[in-house]
Order: sequence, then C-alpha cells, then structure tokens
Amino acid sequence: MNPLCTPRDHTFSRRAFLGGGLGLLTSPLFAEAMKQRDKQVLFVWLDGGMSQLETWDPKPNTEFGGPFRSIPTSVPGVHFCELMPKLAKQMHKLCVVRSMCTKDNAHSSGVDRIQRGDPKNRGVPYPHFGAGVAKLLGPGSSGLPPYVWIKPGSGGFRAEDAGFLGPKYGSLAFGDGKPPDNLLRHPDISAEQDAARNELRQMLDQRFAKQREKRVVEANASVFDMANKLMARADIFDTSKLPERDRDRYGRHDFGQHMLVARQMLEAGVRFVKVTSYGWDTHGDNFNAHATMVPKFDQAFSAMLEDLEASGLLKTTLVICLSEFGRTPRINGHVGRDHWSEAWSIAMAGHGVKHGMVVGETNERGTEVKSKPFDIGSAFHTWYRALGIDPMKTEFDNAGQPLPIAHDDMLPIKEALA
Amino acid sequence: MKHMIVCLLALTATAWAEEAALAPKIDALLFAKVAKPAQADDAEFLRRVWLDFDGGIPSAEEARAFLADKTPDKRAKLINKLIAAPRFAVRAADAFNVMLMERRGENEAWKAWLVECFKTNKPWDAMVREMLAPEFLNEQQRGAGYFITRRLEKVGQQDTDYPGLTRDVGRMFMGIDLQCCQCHRHLSVNDYKQIDFSGLYTVYQNLKLQPADDKHKTPWISEGLVTAKYEFASVLTSKKAQTAPRIPFGEEVMIPVSTGDDGWLVKPDRKTKEVGQPKFSPLHEIAQRVPAPENALFAKNIANRVWFLFIGKGIVEPLDLHHTENPPAHPALLDLLAKELTTHRFDLRWLIREIAQTQAYQQSGAHQRHLTAEQQLRAFIIATGERERLEKNTKPDVKVDALKYSLTEFEKAFAAALANPAKEPELAANPSLRSALFFRNSDHVQWALKPRAGNLIDHLAKQTDPAEELYLTLLTRLPDAEEKTALNNWLAKDSSNKSQALTDYAWALLSSTEFFVNH
Repeated sequence: MNPLCTPRDHTFSRRAFLGGGLGLLTSPLFAEAMKQRDKQVLFVWLDGGMSQLETWDPKPNTEFGGPFRSIPTSVPGVHFCELMPKLAKQMHKLCVVRSMCTKDNAHSSGVDRIQRGDPKNRGVPYPHFGAGVAKLLGPGSSGLPPYVWIKPGSGGFRAEDAGFLGPKYGSLAFGDGKPPDNLLRHPDISAEQDAARNELRQMLDQRFAKQREKRVVEANASVFDMANKLMARADIFDTSKLPERDRDRYGRHDFGQHMLVARQMLEAGVRFVKVTSYGWDTHGDNFNAHATMVPKFDQAFSAMLEDLEASGLLKTTLVICLSEFGRTPRINGHVGRDHWSEAWSIAMAGHGVKHGMVVGETNERGTEVKSKPFDIGSAFHTWYRALGIDPMKTEFDNAGQPLPIAHDDMLPIKEALA
Repeated sequence: MKHMIVCLLALTATAWAEEAALAPKIDALLFAKVAKPAQADDAEFLRRVWLDFDGGIPSAEEARAFLADKTPDKRAKLINKLIAAPRFAVRAADAFNVMLMERRGENEAWKAWLVECFKTNKPWDAMVREMLAPEFLNEQQRGAGYFITRRLEKVGQQDTDYPGLTRDVGRMFMGIDLQCCQCHRHLSVNDYKQIDFSGLYTVYQNLKLQPADDKHKTPWISEGLVTAKYEFASVLTSKKAQTAPRIPFGEEVMIPVSTGDDGWLVKPDRKTKEVGQPKFSPLHEIAQRVPAPENALFAKNIANRVWFLFIGKGIVEPLDLHHTENPPAHPALLDLLAKELTTHRFDLRWLIREIAQTQAYQQSGAHQRHLTAEQQLRAFIIATGERERLEKNTKPDVKVDALKYSLTEFEKAFAAALANPAKEPELAANPSLRSALFFRNSDHVQWALKPRAGNLIDHLAKQTDPAEELYLTLLTRLPDAEEKTALNNWLAKDSSNKSQALTDYAWALLSSTEFFVNH
C-alpha cells in the first residue's frame, strides 16, 4: 500500500550515489574525499584544572614538586608523574605541549574562553571547538549528530555551545552517559509499528508537499530522518550492553564508562565526541585528590588510545586532552594548588599531530614557560590544521560578517603538527 | 470645559468612524499594481484565524458549523468573536512573552500582567512605559518589571549583562540592534552610532537589581545618582565622546545640576539599608521618550512586529534592523500602519482586527510557518481530545492512567521539546531533532493517543467511517476521496485492532507537516 521507498531502499540508493562501481571507489579523488569525511575528534575535558605537575610535567625533588616521583615513559628522556603508569607506556603515541601560557585563571570565564579558543573580541560569542568542527566538517557519512558531549549530570540539546553559528551546531549532551530524552523507542511501541507509522507519516507529508511550499516539508523530513538514523544506532548509546571486559579495562567509574561510550560513538562515526570529567579543582588536598583521580584518568585514557590504535581509528581521529588551565606550582595552606594559566600542559594524539613528541618546557620549578609560550589560540590553529582545515583560508560566517575561525594574530604550534 | 469634552468626544467619534477603513487601505496599497491573490477557502481561513487568535484549533463541531454557515460576513463575525474571547488575551500574551523575553524562562507576575494588558486592551505605549519604568509597589504593574529584572539577573560569575539589556530596549521597542555600537560605530550600518548605544547604556548600567523584601513582592530595581555625562571611547579610533541619557537618534536629556546630597529624593542609608532614590531618574525620562508619537521608530517597530506575528513576514527584516540602508519591503505600507496606529493611540487590538480583515491576511497558502510551542501544545491537546482532562487535573498521579498528566506538565514538555533556545529571536519555530524525537518517542504523545473515555481515539473507534471526523478534528478540513481510501485501507489491514490502527494513523497525521504549520 505504500507508494514510497522503504528505509532499506535509501541505503541502496545512497550506495549507488556514492559508489557507482568499484572504479570510483579506488580513484584517488574519492579516496581523498573519504579521508576528509572520516576525520574525527575526541576531546577530553578535565574540568576545574588538572595539575600539570602531577601528570604531564612532573618536577620531582624541587621546591614545588610535591610528593610524587616521576617515571620514564616509552619515549627515552620523557618522564611523566608516577600516577600515570599506563599512559607512560603510550607516550610514543602522544604529543604533549608543556608550554601553554593562557590568559584567564577564573573558571567561569576560563572554561568558556579556552573552549572557544579565546579569539579577539568581536562582540559575539564564539563557538566551542566542537561546534566549529561540526560546522566546518559536518556530520560526515554516518549521518549521526556531529557534536556529541558525554558528561556527568544533566544532558540534552546544548545550543549555547554553538555561539553565533546558531543552535544547529550545538552539542547533543549525554548526561551521565545516558541519551537525551526520547531518543529510544517508546516501550509501548513495537519496532514494526514504529516503522509502519513512520512510513505512513512520510507518505502523508509527501502528499502535502505536492500542494504546498516544499521547504517546509523538507525541514520536517530532515529532522525525522536524523531521528531515524540516531534511533537505528540506539546500540551505541546503550551503556547497559557494553562488553564486561571493556568495562573493567576502562574502569568502573564515571569517566571510564563515559570514555567507553565515547569509543562506541567514535566507532559509529560521530564526528566530534567530547567527554567531560568534573572535580579537578583541587584548592585543598591536591595530592590525595590527584592520587585518586589521575589513576582513573590514566586507566581510561590509555585504554582508549589502545583501542583506537587497534581499530585503526587513531589514524583518522585527533585526540585532545586539556583543562581550562593548570595548577599553581606553589602549594597553598590547605595543601592545595590554585589556578595557574601561566605554565601548563595539554596532550594530543592521533591524526595530524606528531607522535612521541614533547613540545616546549617549563623552568626548573615549573613556575613559568622557559621555551616559546603558546596561547590557546595557537592550539586552535594547530587542531584545525591537524584536521586539514587552514584557518588562514577558512572563515566563519556570522550573518554575513566573515570571522576568523581561530585568533587572527596567532599561529599553529608547528612543532606539534605531523 | 464642557466644550472641550464635546470636542474630545467628536474627535474620538471620528477616530471610530475611520476604524474599519484601515483594512481596505492596506489591500489597496498592496494590490495596486499586482493581482489580488487567491483567497483562502473557509477551512483554511478558519484554521489560520483560530491559531492566531485562540492559539489552538477549532473542534470538528465548530468547523462544521462554520463551513455550513452561509452568512456573507461570517469571517468578520468570527474575527470579532475570537478577539472578544478570553483566549485572545492569553494567546496574545503568549506571543508577546516569546517575542519580548525570548524564552528566558516563565514568570507568573509577568504573564499575568501581559494577559491583563491584552484583556483590557492597554495601549502599547502604556505597556512600554510600564515595562521601562516599572512601578514595583503597584500590584497591577509590578509584573511588567520582569522585562528589566530578568535581564539584570546574574548568571554564574558573569557580570550583570547591562549591555544586553540596553541592546534589547533598542531591539524590542525601536527595532534597532545596537549591539556592535557598544565598542565602536556600527561597521555595516551607517545609521547606528556609538552614542546611540551609550545614551541608553548610561541609563541601564545605573540600575541595581534588588531582591524581593517586605515592601516588594518581586525583585525590583534601584537607580543611582546621575550628575555627569557618560564618557565613552571607540576602540577603533580611541576618540572620546560623552553623552547624557538619550534615546537613539534623539535629543540628550538635560542632567540637572546638583551637588551630591541634594540630588536625592530619598537619601541612601546603610544603617536602614535604604538604597536611595534620586530626584532625577533617567529611567523614567527614557521610559517617557521611547514610547512617544515623536519617536517615529517606536510606531514603526510595533507595526512591523504585529504585521510579522499575523502575516508571518516582517515588512522590515530582520525585525530589529530598521535603518536607511535596509528599507522596508513596502515603505508606504509600513508608514500607513505606523501612522494609523499612532492616530489610534497604539491600540493593538484594533490593528490586529484590521490586519485580519485584509485580503493579504486571508490569501491562500501564503507565508506558511511552523506553529509555536504554545500553539502546538494547544492544537495537540484539542485534537487528541485531552484538553479538558489536562486542565482539570491539578494533582497528577502516575499510577492512575487518566490522572497521569496535568496541563502544566504538558506545557513544560512541549516547551522543552519545541521551543527555540533562549535568547534568540523566535522568528520561526524550526523543527529540530529534539522535536522529532519528542513526537516519535515521548510518553506525553503516546499517552494522549491511547484510547481513553471521551478522547479522540475513543470517539473515532465508535464510528463506522471515521475519516471525516479525523480530518476535521486534526486538520480542520474534509478528506478527499484518495485520503478516505488510504485511511480505510490502513484500517482494513488489521481489523482486529481498530483503535491501534486509528492511533497510528492519528499519530502520523499529528506528526506530519500539515499539522505543524499555520495554514
């Protein structure tokens, strides 16, 4: 009775559209296009400010070094804090920049500032990196929402991340790793019933489109279409079905489980996956806090690197890990470390960046950057470059006003780029 | 004295006599050179006017009665009936709430004030005066203060958004977005200068949000002492300039000379926590000068915004970018609307009624747009026959099917799924992934479509040929032969479960584009 094609017909027609035969698949032009499509980003955000001294840039046996030792890594001469034994074994995959020097040491403004790349003030809110990537690279061949954010707490559709790009490029947030409301099929509706009534809906819409303005119907069709694609991949959002062995490897804590969900999303082809871990603001009892939190981070982050490498995704995925700032070398009266934007570290891996590389260094006490300092704008230039986007040639469009995608006066961290 | 009253009465009478005259004037202007568009048929008109004036859709019964009515002026009669109904005030309040607050959250006192304004047909200039210089001690007016107080609330550790409030006063009441002029002259709009922003900014940055207390039932604002002009400099040229309080493109308000203490009507006093009240109130000065007939943009802005609300397209777009290089699509039309609205003392109900009478409004198929979250909710609960049950239920009980939801819960769910994100002008309610998922999978939608005593599915299941009733109830029109056959085929597929099949068909119609748009 249904005059329309079924979802399966769409898969075939899409393949026909993409392929048209093996000849095209193997042509260099097509391969180039696929490479472009498949670039992905994993963005790990340690909210509150992870201490660089207890992680990427240890200063043992110095005035501010703290109680932990440093350990050698898989790259000769490079040492991490002993709280990261697993990542130490994977340093050859990483690119650590120890010479970050940024401008804001308040959380409220700093979080936004760093995630928006701290561009020159144009009077409009800039998009977060994920929204920028979603805009510039789109959802890709998976058709899944391009910017997904896995975080503790509440979820939903976060329009504010997108700044002037508009709500369309905001994040789809998975609160506590769980999908937003209404993502999964209602328990009272069978899969068959769901499919049948959606076909009916499409048919009614197409009839209506014949008499009316097409674009109105198209706008509706496209969102129902994306809902279909998303619901068809409900498996990647279902944390209860994660393999037991992986759950242990990533660690049975929020961050571990969220990283595991993130891995599934990357495997499913989501363009940009952000994972947030909260609670790194250790003004008091910094060392016990890091002794508890860093090993969890070490476990999950290293499991992720292993898996991405094993599946080959590390070749096409840019991995980034950072906070809004680092922590003060000086230890305060509460055995804590405060906010320090003057000298801190970020870590990267995967597509477009050098492997086994340390860029820059801090002075002996860790108080200042000794080499050339880099602001967050430079990091944005680096990341966009790593994804094959040239910030010198690419601009955002703010309602007709062209705006640079990264700080106009800054340059990429060349040493970090592959 | 008596003479004067007679004069006034005569004036009013002339104004009234002219009242019906605007609609034909609009059509004459619009269709002077182009052919008159095809007019909407009764069904299309009925649904449109109902959504615009009631915010919902007519019942199948109401639709049948209107379609069968042979009275020649039945459209004008319906417009008058709907505009006089209590729902009109609620619907207008909804529309203005979304327009003025841009989804910054709901507030009871504000909403009550808006409803009251439209119920009593308070002139727009009076409404704006109450919003711009709220009387927080006046119970009838304090709700208006939310326009300012909400915008002065601090978010996290960010600074109070005084520039945002300044910008919104320009946008909402004069149709000009001065945001870029905070730091320099506007780079793409020659008309907008930094002094235009600064003249308003000096007024609003001087306010302080005060919490509710014994005297004030809502948060309120206090004003500081102004004794000197405000200094500003362009970040582009570093050139310094100064201004007194001033409406954009207007004259500066003279700042009275005072030496500190004598500027206060009530002196601030730390001991008694008195925040003080200055004699000279720039807030009140601006609140008088913005909604004035002399301020041409004031009338143009609201005429354009009302036209947008009912026609679906602004004469000037974006709505907040009136300037010489962005002329109206139809300058004479905007001038006419603004002029007549000013003559009619900013009587919005009159303007709305006139617009609805035009052939421009009643043309077929023009300017389709998606319904707002509020319209969708009302249309949906009327269509599914669950409106009364939801309205009556004040104590939801998840264990009892019929008591599972209240209207408030439906309002929240529909707003969360369908409203645009906060702080964006809601020009079009765009379909989103969020809204699609809501219609596909939410329990609210499932619940309303389950057969339940007296609701849509229950009612349809009892009919042998439910097509007509279904299409009239959901889409305010009769089905054609093809549609009837399609429905019957669908029902014949599984005759063992008629109400299930009906539910699915109704669901498909309710989540189809035809249901979402203003016909």
